[in-house]
Amino acid sequence: MNDTNVPTQSKSTLIKASIAATVLAVFIYFALILPAEYNQDPTGIGAVLGLTQLSDSDDSSSESQLANDSSSSLNTAEQPVEESIDQIEIIVPAGRGLEYKFKMKQYGKLTFEWSTDGSPLYFDFHGEPEGDTTGYFESYSIATANDVKGSTTVPFDGVHGWYWKNKTDKEVVVTLITSGVYEVIGKPH
Amino acid sequence: MLNKFTLLFFVLLAMLVSFAAYSHGVDDGTKQFLMQNQGVAFVPFLYIGAKHMVTGYDHLLFLVGVIFFLYRTKDVIIYVSLFTLGHSLTLLFGVLANIQVNAYLIDAIIGLSIVYKGFDNLGGFQRVLGRQPNTKLAVLIFGLFHGFGLATKLQEFKFSEEGLLENLLAFNLGVEIGQFLALSLVLILLSIWRRFDSYMQFSTVTNTLLMSGGLMLTMLQLTGYFLS
Repeated sequence: MNDTNVPTQSKSTLIKASIAATVLAVFIYFALILPAEYNQDPTGIGAVLGLTQLSDSDDSSSESQLANDSSSSLNTAEQPVEESIDQIEIIVPAGRGLEYKFKMKQYGKLTFEWSTDGSPLYFDFHGEPEGDTTGYFESYSIATANDVKGSTTVPFDGVHGWYWKNKTDKEVVVTLITSGVYEVIGKPH
Repeated sequence: MLNKFTLLFFVLLAMLVSFAAYSHGVDDGTKQFLMQNQGVAFVPFLYIGAKHMVTGYDHLLFLVGVIFFLYRTKDVIIYVSLFTLGHSLTLLFGVLANIQVNAYLIDAIIGLSIVYKGFDNLGGFQRVLGRQPNTKLAVLIFGLFHGFGLATKLQEFKFSEEGLLENLLAFNLGVEIGQFLALSLVLILLSIWRRFDSYMQFSTVTNTLLMSGGLMLTMLQLTGYFLS
């Protein structure tokens, strides 16, 4: 049913229009969109127009082929470069303690806010240097609280995070919100 | 005439280049708000919904295609309402029932909806198939897909269960407000342009560009799908 006045084009017009639409789309896709979004530049036009700069922060190489694989010498799977924002709920059972950690590079910044559903928890916010075998760790802050926020710039490569101890007789739920460049380790064991 | 075509081409090009920097997801400020929000936050969700629609060029391109040849206010209202019904149903259902669909695939289908509309506006189906597919039904069905697209954007975040329904309704209402604002602007521009002879002369070019834009969008989303 057609209750509107749509002019019906001739077959040749339709064919020309469809071909033109496809050619234009393919050209813009490979020349502009791929360089800008995915740092692939098969035509080289993206680099000339400076579009590859838009997606350069995701990839250490500024010139790439279509067959570019995602790993380079500076970028292994274990070393995150993109900032993420995460929220997690952690249940600390009654009378127990547990840890929740993040793997970070030296001088990485971790912004955080955590709160409990009521009861304050003893906590030790600390970091363990990568490769350490002595059990050494540096405590950034130790206290008992139910609502803490702030940020820290970690002093070394390693695993950083919280140890919470629930000294009450009911389980306590911690809601933790973090942002920064890290790899979530979570509970180490 | 060559000048007008060139101008249109460069305007579209400029738009595409600027859109490339905006990935049509949810920006960081919204992300942080959604993560930390607990409870009912009616006006913020209303605003987020409106903002999402006003900046949602894929939804808007489809709507432009739909109303391109609708001259009577009554027709505009009917078709836009069908689209609204479709996307509201799947937005609400998708979030409340926690339906998991791949966002890239849905967005690719939305891209195809734009290609469909451009082709339809050229009388393509009438010419090729000898019949016109039910336009109202098509708008409703594509509306369903657009709604799933909206839902996936919200679903990226586990936000608070408390007040979920109210916030979701606020988001939906915001989407409609945003749609209304964007459509009003489009209608004003269209009605000015429709006074000129060039409207019909350029309807072919415009709908070809619409098909092209839809195709680019589909390719972009499929790339995202296959790379992740």
